[in-house]
Amino acid sequence: MDLNLLQTLEKDRVLEVLRRDKQLRIIEEDRIRRMKYELQELRRRGAKSFARQYGERTCARCQRPLGKFWNSGAVCRGCSHRICSRCRVGAADWKCTVCHAYREVKIRSGEWFLEEKAKKFPVTTDKYETVGEKLLKTYNVLSHISVVPPTPPPHLDYHFLSRSGDLKNSKPFTKSMENLMVSFTSHIRKISTSQNDVQGDLLSVDNGRKASCFTYSTQKSLSDTDINKTTHLFKVPSLPNLFKKSKDSDHEGSSTGAEEETSFGSEYSGGKRGSSSSISTECGLFEGITVAGELELALAYNTSTSCLEITVGACRNLTYGDAKKRKCHPYVKLYVLPERSGKMKTAVKKNTTDPVFNEVLKYQIERHLLFGKRLQVTVWHSGSLRRKVFLGEVLIPLDGWRFEDKASQYFNWYPLCPKAESPSGGLVEQDGGELVKFSSNNQGELLKLSSLKCLQEKETHLTVRQIR
Amino acid sequence: LLHLHPQMASATATYGQKESSDQNFDYMFKILIIGNSSVGKTSFLFRYADDSFTPAFVSTVGIDFKVKTIYRNDKRIKLQIWDTAGQERYRTITTAYYRGAMGFILMYDITNEESFNACPGLVRDWSTQIKTYSWDNAQVLLVGNKCDMEDERVVSGDRGRQLSEHLGFEFFEASAKDNINVKQTFERLVDIICEKMSESLDAGDPAVTGAKQGPQLTEQPAPPHQDCAC
Repeated sequence: MDLNLLQTLEKDRVLEVLRRDKQLRIIEEDRIRRMKYELQELRRRGAKSFARQYGERTCARCQRPLGKFWNSGAVCRGCSHRICSRCRVGAADWKCTVCHAYREVKIRSGEWFLEEKAKKFPVTTDKYETVGEKLLKTYNVLSHISVVPPTPPPHLDYHFLSRSGDLKNSKPFTKSMENLMVSFTSHIRKISTSQNDVQGDLLSVDNGRKASCFTYSTQKSLSDTDINKTTHLFKVPSLPNLFKKSKDSDHEGSSTGAEEETSFGSEYSGGKRGSSSSISTECGLFEGITVAGELELALAYNTSTSCLEITVGACRNLTYGDAKKRKCHPYVKLYVLPERSGKMKTAVKKNTTDPVFNEVLKYQIERHLLFGKRLQVTVWHSGSLRRKVFLGEVLIPLDGWRFEDKASQYFNWYPLCPKAESPSGGLVEQDGGELVKFSSNNQGELLKLSSLKCLQEKETHLTVRQIR
Repeated sequence: LLHLHPQMASATATYGQKESSDQNFDYMFKILIIGNSSVGKTSFLFRYADDSFTPAFVSTVGIDFKVKTIYRNDKRIKLQIWDTAGQERYRTITTAYYRGAMGFILMYDITNEESFNACPGLVRDWSTQIKTYSWDNAQVLLVGNKCDMEDERVVSGDRGRQLSEHLGFEFFEASAKDNINVKQTFERLVDIICEKMSESLDAGDPAVTGAKQGPQLTEQPAPPHQDCAC
């Protein structure tokens, strides 16, 4: 579908509505993400206890021992676990706390509706992306074709409908890869034809390349064993899948009911079975680190220098990056999404969970290009051996930001959230994740590609040579 | 109650002072208003969301929506109400938005025979479009608007009721101008969505149905206790 039949003004009207819708959806996705995170926390709480010997005689939720005659527990009709009287919700028709919370999340996220629908009409592939999202992308690119970087990989903008989907869907992903390649090459052509614009475009081309470089590396990592990683494409895992996973791992454990909790416990002990690491890459919810604390930020846009100025103030109440040694060396990293461009970092603060940074990080970008962008602010612990541990993130939509409003330029505290999408893996960020690095020098050689690894990249390399 | 003016929506949507209040609701429902051109869909929405009415006719361009948070059954429910253009030329855009809608208001004008006659056609035409999406699962109300214009009425209440029975929807006559049955329509729709919600949850709930479980199998075989957290 396209809007070409409409006049320009009509098109603008419709796109404006779609933008508002998108803002609403971003907020909604965030809300759902929080809810699921809380649910996960609740599930985990039972497993957190040090009592390693689970048995029939403890409550599956709080692990408190059950008596023989009084408070002997009863079986939850939802999960068939023995539950003590404290961990029940409701009277006669009670459920255990987790079963109750699970149902609540299903209701509150609207997932019930999607599930019901999926039962009747099995979800088909590309339908995940909303029409509105597609239109927004298409027309946003068209209107700024000379400056806007290629369409981002789809994992960032999936509508929450995608939650009801199955995991095997990588079709939209590869599709967008093609689009990406096309727009990438068209970018290069654009540059070669308009030498005058080269300076102005330098930045955005840079963005574009980074975006593509990022996807290449993701694609490379999509080996057969890593097939689970395709779920990065989806923002939030569907509840059934989420629990199915834990159930699968249950079968490996021995029989008694409460055993399932240990599979989560194993993540704490550093992953005693191989699958736990893949679980943790699948979604931020499974990360071993409990996300806590807040981050202080101020955002301003400097029109004279065309810079987005992000002042990272401080953090408070962070979790320990190294829980065993109770150590934390936090730093803050910024990206502009969806391209993951403009990587910026603060200095690392040693031995503190309340670091004060007071650093101004600048990102040069034309004001109108902020449309559709989000600022991803992540907090990391810089551990030994270059291990980085994720401590939390804040996502801020930039297109609706009222930079003119003085109040919005002041410092604000943002609660840290678990990761929404983690392209480089969940728990620990690997160094050298960026396969391709680009450098630009001032001789007009815009695209000098180094350390290329993919065939496609080699092709682009050739194109670049020809242009020169 | 919280209502977002279009201009305000983007500002509210960003992080800021209003951020907390913005997420301060229990459910979010998407509702679509459909019907022929000039039956009063936009007026109906404006009456409900803003409590305002303008007699002038302004054709809706493509789609639009308003957000209204209501308090119903002890829950705060955020409604995203989509107003669609009735004109044929926007059909591709409007139908694309059927997906994800949990409730529909199918509207005609009681002073306009054609708009009434169009209803079954709309249902038929659109249901093919919707089938793949959500019509089958969504709740629908049939609404005869402009019931304040009794002198010019051409579609009797009985005919409206008959049609609604035929289509299997509930029926209201309403007036955006005189504010008759507007709130009631939306509230009824919210209620039946809520009913549907608990119905669908309990159906899949082993606690209620016992061991018997009846969702059709999709590509992925469902584990025995799919709906349980444990």
